[in-house]
Amino acid sequence: MTPSIRQLAWLIARDVNRTVGGGNASMELLRRSFEARGWADAQTHGLFVAVSRLTPGTNILAYCAAAGWRLQRWRGAAAAVAAASIPGALIVFGLAATLVRLDRYPAIQIALSLGMFVAGMLVLSSAFNLVKPYVRAGRWPFVATIAMLAGALYLVGWTPVRILLVSAVAGSLLPPKTSAPAAPAPKGTEVTRA
Amino acid sequence: MSVALVYLLLLKATVTSFAGMGSLPQIRQDFVDTYHLVSADALSEAVLVGRATPGPMGAYVVAVGYLAIGWPGAVAGWLALITPAFAALPLLATVQRWLHVPRVRALVDAVVVAGAALLIPSGILLAVDAVRQLLRLR
Repeated sequence: MTPSIRQLAWLIARDVNRTVGGGNASMELLRRSFEARGWADAQTHGLFVAVSRLTPGTNILAYCAAAGWRLQRWRGAAAAVAAASIPGALIVFGLAATLVRLDRYPAIQIALSLGMFVAGMLVLSSAFNLVKPYVRAGRWPFVATIAMLAGALYLVGWTPVRILLVSAVAGSLLPPKTSAPAAPAPKGTEVTRA
Repeated sequence: MSVALVYLLLLKATVTSFAGMGSLPQIRQDFVDTYHLVSADALSEAVLVGRATPGPMGAYVVAVGYLAIGWPGAVAGWLALITPAFAALPLLATVQRWLHVPRVRALVDAVVVAGAALLIPSGILLAVDAVRQLLRLR
């Protein structure tokens, strides 16, 4: 099912601008919304996440650009990025203009802390949901190998981008039995030739 | 200081980072140390506003632009925030075109799995920070 530009923009504005603490929690909210509406499945979401991780700048905006382009091409990408960025940018502008120190008020501090905790839980849930399709398809050796490699490189202090690049190379070099997909290519990611 | 230069300085920071706050060191160097467009305190204020606001954490560059040259700077900050996102489009198109090749599929899958693994420490740190703040407020 393909959403209208207005539906897409509204959903993205709602899901991206209701979390604090970074884009990972927003991506999880978007995954749930997309799946519930049949706009993207878990593996297409995984593709968006992979592309957003390899794109410079703010990950969630790259995710929205990819999702918008996939659903409504250029207009979708532009609407998605605008919807994801304008509400937050306006709030930041308003706060910077009035120089309001939010952390001065205990009630605000408590609300922000609770929001951060929820965001942390959403991020962990996002990690689980990203690997779930691979584990269900019986590809746990692939998941374990790549996850352990990424974990080890993280522990020795490598930057995320370097870790992702090394993992990508390692994934492509793993024996076909370990790395071959157990299921057909997900809907929406099949190759189309002009 | 022209709007175009502020945009280019902010773009340099956003396009060379791979996360919302990853642009901070470059912005500190250009805006605080080199061009003296904002003070260190003002930059901290901008970061705080960005962290406390719902939405992309990288949106703090809007505040940096505003504090540097006023509302035109805020617009320049927003443009610098969104510009790199469109680099995702050729990347997505390229990946989709080659996704039928098993090695490319495995490469993308590895990025997804490694990305998921990297989420675990950031999720735990976020939750632990939140609990620490709540305990401090008790």
